[in-house]
Amino acid sequence: MRLSVAAAISHGRVHRRLGLNPRSRLDLLRNLVTALVRHERIEAPWARADEMRGYAERLIEYAKLGDTDERAMRMANFWLTEKDLIHKLFKVLAPRFQPHPGSYTRLLQIPNRDNLDRAKMAVIELKGNPFPPLITPRRDTDKTLLNQLLKGYRQDMQQAAAP
Amino acid sequence: ALVVVFSPLPRLRGLLQRCWGRLERGLLPGFCGGWSPPWGPALAVQAPAFVPEPVSDTGESGEVPSLFDSILWMAAPKKRRTIEVNRCRRRNPNKLIKVKRNIDVCPECGNLKQKHVLCGYCYAKVKAETQLIRMEIRKKEGGPFNTPTVETVVLYEGEKPTEEDKGKRIIERARKRPSWFVQN
Repeated sequence: MRLSVAAAISHGRVHRRLGLNPRSRLDLLRNLVTALVRHERIEAPWARADEMRGYAERLIEYAKLGDTDERAMRMANFWLTEKDLIHKLFKVLAPRFQPHPGSYTRLLQIPNRDNLDRAKMAVIELKGNPFPPLITPRRDTDKTLLNQLLKGYRQDMQQAAAP
Repeated sequence: ALVVVFSPLPRLRGLLQRCWGRLERGLLPGFCGGWSPPWGPALAVQAPAFVPEPVSDTGESGEVPSLFDSILWMAAPKKRRTIEVNRCRRRNPNKLIKVKRNIDVCPECGNLKQKHVLCGYCYAKVKAETQLIRMEIRKKEGGPFNTPTVETVVLYEGEKPTEEDKGKRIIERARKRPSWFVQN
């Protein structure tokens, strides 16, 4: 059993290190959260979007507590750098997500960025945004092979049962 | 340049030299050879800087110790790597590029996509449309920091706001509704 940890090994460590230092990481995430609340759909590197998702969802949970709550207002004041978005958060997003118990965001991976770095990118959006949907759910049509076979089987069963 | 010229008494000079020699051997064991510049109470005189250098190791001290002496100086390959060994290393599976088995055909547009990633073509299409909607929003808002405190709804040509679009801000887009944007 390894009793001392080598500094350069990071097996199993879950906390990501973004930016220059912890303060810079929080500033980065804060900018992303502000952009998400403003535009409701953002493209960002996957690691940053994944990190930001937790903070955004907790912010919405705080907003659900209401406008008059002191802690909620202080959180919104810290996390949203553009102050007109505080109004949007409490008046638009909180009522929109009131019936939902959790998971207010959707994170989907995009093809890698076209630059030299080929970074893994993701698009993160708030559910219920006015923009066109990113994934259209496909309904099963009757024309697929499996459905045709099942239909035939059902008809055979009915003919065998009827006469 | 300064040149030291001295004129002490011979006996005093000898004594001082011996004392200094002992000191130096104790304090500076790395001092070159047994030669020390003739010293003693002296007089500093401005003169050209040429000092006859005695024969010493100062010429070689800057050089790297000769390669004959040191066996453990630098690592180097002993034998030429044969082409068989080279092939084993270069073609080992962990050096080859892995074959991707998670590529599928997008059912909407027919382009190739990875299974866990959005289709590039469909995403670009949606992104372009979102960009146009955002431009309309920007025109409607006018300046920066004018986010409204109501929801937004996008209506295309020939569409009227319905019951549920009552208190919302309406964004008009001057085109027919695309088939992939289903109105809720």
